[in-house]
Amino acid sequence: MAERKGPILAQDKLAFLLSLVPFLMDHDRISVADVARHFSVPAEQIREAVRLIAVSGIPGETGQYQHADLFDLAWDDFEDNDQIMLTNLVAIDDSPRFSGREAAALIAGLQYLSALPEHADRAAIATLMSKLSRGASAPPSQVAVEASETDATLALIRESVAAGVQLEFDYSDSRGEHERRRVDPLRIESVDADWYLRGWCHLREALRTFRLDRITNPQITSEAITYHAADVHLPETLFEGSVDDLVVTIDVARSAAPLLADYIPDGAVSTEIGDRIRTTMRVSHYHGLKRLVASMPGVVTVVEPVEARRVVADWAAAGAARYGEGD
Amino acid sequence: MSQSSSSRVPVEERLFSLVLALLATETGLTKNEILSTVQGYRQKYSARGDNANLERQFERDKDDIRELGVPLETVDSPGQSGNNQNLRYRIPRGAYELPSDITFSAEETTLLGLAAMVWREGSLSAESRRAIVKLRSLGITSDEPVLGYAPRLRVRDATFEPLRTALEKNAIVRFAYLKPGQLDAVIRTVAPLALVQYQGRWHLYAEEPDTGLTKTFLLRRIVTQIATTGKTFTPPPGDQSAKALREIEAVWSAHTVEVTVEPDSDAATRLHKRRGTEVSAAGTLVLHYADANIVADELAGYGPEVVVVSPQAIRTAVRDRLLRVAADHGAGGTHADDHGAGDHRADQGRPTDG
Repeated sequence: MAERKGPILAQDKLAFLLSLVPFLMDHDRISVADVARHFSVPAEQIREAVRLIAVSGIPGETGQYQHADLFDLAWDDFEDNDQIMLTNLVAIDDSPRFSGREAAALIAGLQYLSALPEHADRAAIATLMSKLSRGASAPPSQVAVEASETDATLALIRESVAAGVQLEFDYSDSRGEHERRRVDPLRIESVDADWYLRGWCHLREALRTFRLDRITNPQITSEAITYHAADVHLPETLFEGSVDDLVVTIDVARSAAPLLADYIPDGAVSTEIGDRIRTTMRVSHYHGLKRLVASMPGVVTVVEPVEARRVVADWAAAGAARYGEGD
Repeated sequence: MSQSSSSRVPVEERLFSLVLALLATETGLTKNEILSTVQGYRQKYSARGDNANLERQFERDKDDIRELGVPLETVDSPGQSGNNQNLRYRIPRGAYELPSDITFSAEETTLLGLAAMVWREGSLSAESRRAIVKLRSLGITSDEPVLGYAPRLRVRDATFEPLRTALEKNAIVRFAYLKPGQLDAVIRTVAPLALVQYQGRWHLYAEEPDTGLTKTFLLRRIVTQIATTGKTFTPPPGDQSAKALREIEAVWSAHTVEVTVEPDSDAATRLHKRRGTEVSAAGTLVLHYADANIVADELAGYGPEVVVVSPQAIRTAVRDRLLRVAADHGAGGTHADDHGAGDHRADQGRPTDG
């Protein structure tokens, strides 16, 4: 499966071929560029696939792949004009079904997104899921995701993103500071059960990521946004490193290391010490670090710098001090 | 096709040719017919010699094709049942083709594109990409892409893939499970029924073959690889993943912890917005939880911003966690050697008790 790299690639190519043929059959003549756009792949990938399809076929009565047993293509039109017109068809009539796993992946994705503001129509989602299920060649595997919890804040942010207007809200950061922020909302992001807003913060004059559960009193303004998603580089990863980041050395239980993967920079040197891994992670400040480490007791320990250890120790000790000795 | 018969045939050409050949046959082809005539095999086929390598190739290709959802089936030759050499292979058209009454609107296509996008890593990502390619095969153009969303679901547990494979094969598996508060992991043998993500964590819903009881396990607490037992089971009827989510949700509903929060703190903001939070008449917050150890970890993260009022077990668990973290980081000048402290029992209300 996942580790067999060669066959995976060939499998993907096969799925593409089996999908491309029915699409081409539905179009008498279509340009390579249009097909590439439709499938969101490079034009050269379409040309390669078409060349292969055009010489493929079935062994036929003779077992010899006679001409009539092969697909055929208007070759001149293809070579000269970059247009595709299949002139002989074999074996394939229609689009393939989804595999059980493919259907399951989409169904679980739909479940997760079913609470989004624009998906208010639960019945439509249920219909879509049953279509996927019926359109699969095997029962979808039993993988499910809880519908993500979303609230009025998300709906309001969504509204402002769609309208392209600025948003104002109170934000309490991990330092415990409260400020009224004015933001150009650019993208709503999530990782599993946690939701974030990525936007241009007018107060900080920088791209910032805000946790939705730290946003209160959001209010849509009538002012148009000044930065657009196309103007700024929105990184694919939620936690983008910055030159100002602080680097700390940690010991983490091997089993928990994947949970911190987002904080561990590429190329970080990791060494194994017993069942622990010593590595480095980057944080924007120690306030976020102390909360993270305190929520993973016995699993993560900060090794250095001393200042980071002290901040974590003080945080935890202050927490413990709120309980009496007799507890 | 003679022009390519001498050169090496790419894997995808061999697989494509195999699918075409098996779709075109009504009665099926024997293995020998396939190996001797189908493009990509015939070039390596020896009429008199040993084709063992080629046969193994064919076995792997069948698996690869089936993984794509292509229903490659075997039929006995008439009057020759039981004779392996005369097994015939075919792809029945009706089971291969997407039923013609299944269509997707532009709006639905957009929605499915977003649903596929949530998987950015691992095999679910590859599978959802393939599903989208098949969807595009139908020729529907989606509405404007849903701008402004980048949702992600993650699968970071190494045991997820082997468990999913076992789930699909109805295979009984064995693994070691370490409950917080226990010193030693316990070997569990279970029939996997569903994998569900609840509050960001992947859970295995499974049945114990001996007792017939269903249990929920946190993948994060599985401390060994997943071993197969060679035994299979008959899956129970019904939507097991929905049942799993319902059961965890019921545990979540039934269990609460009461806390006080520092006004205006991060804890106050976030715990007020936490799903299901109620404010008591006394001004304390009542939070729901599905797993006592997980909620204790969560609350410990807030340090001095939160004090647990009740139940006592979670109060103790949070305090012990904070003491452990303080000691691990050199508070009070002594380094902790008590590695049990953070794992204090706080065991009521665990759905993930295995």
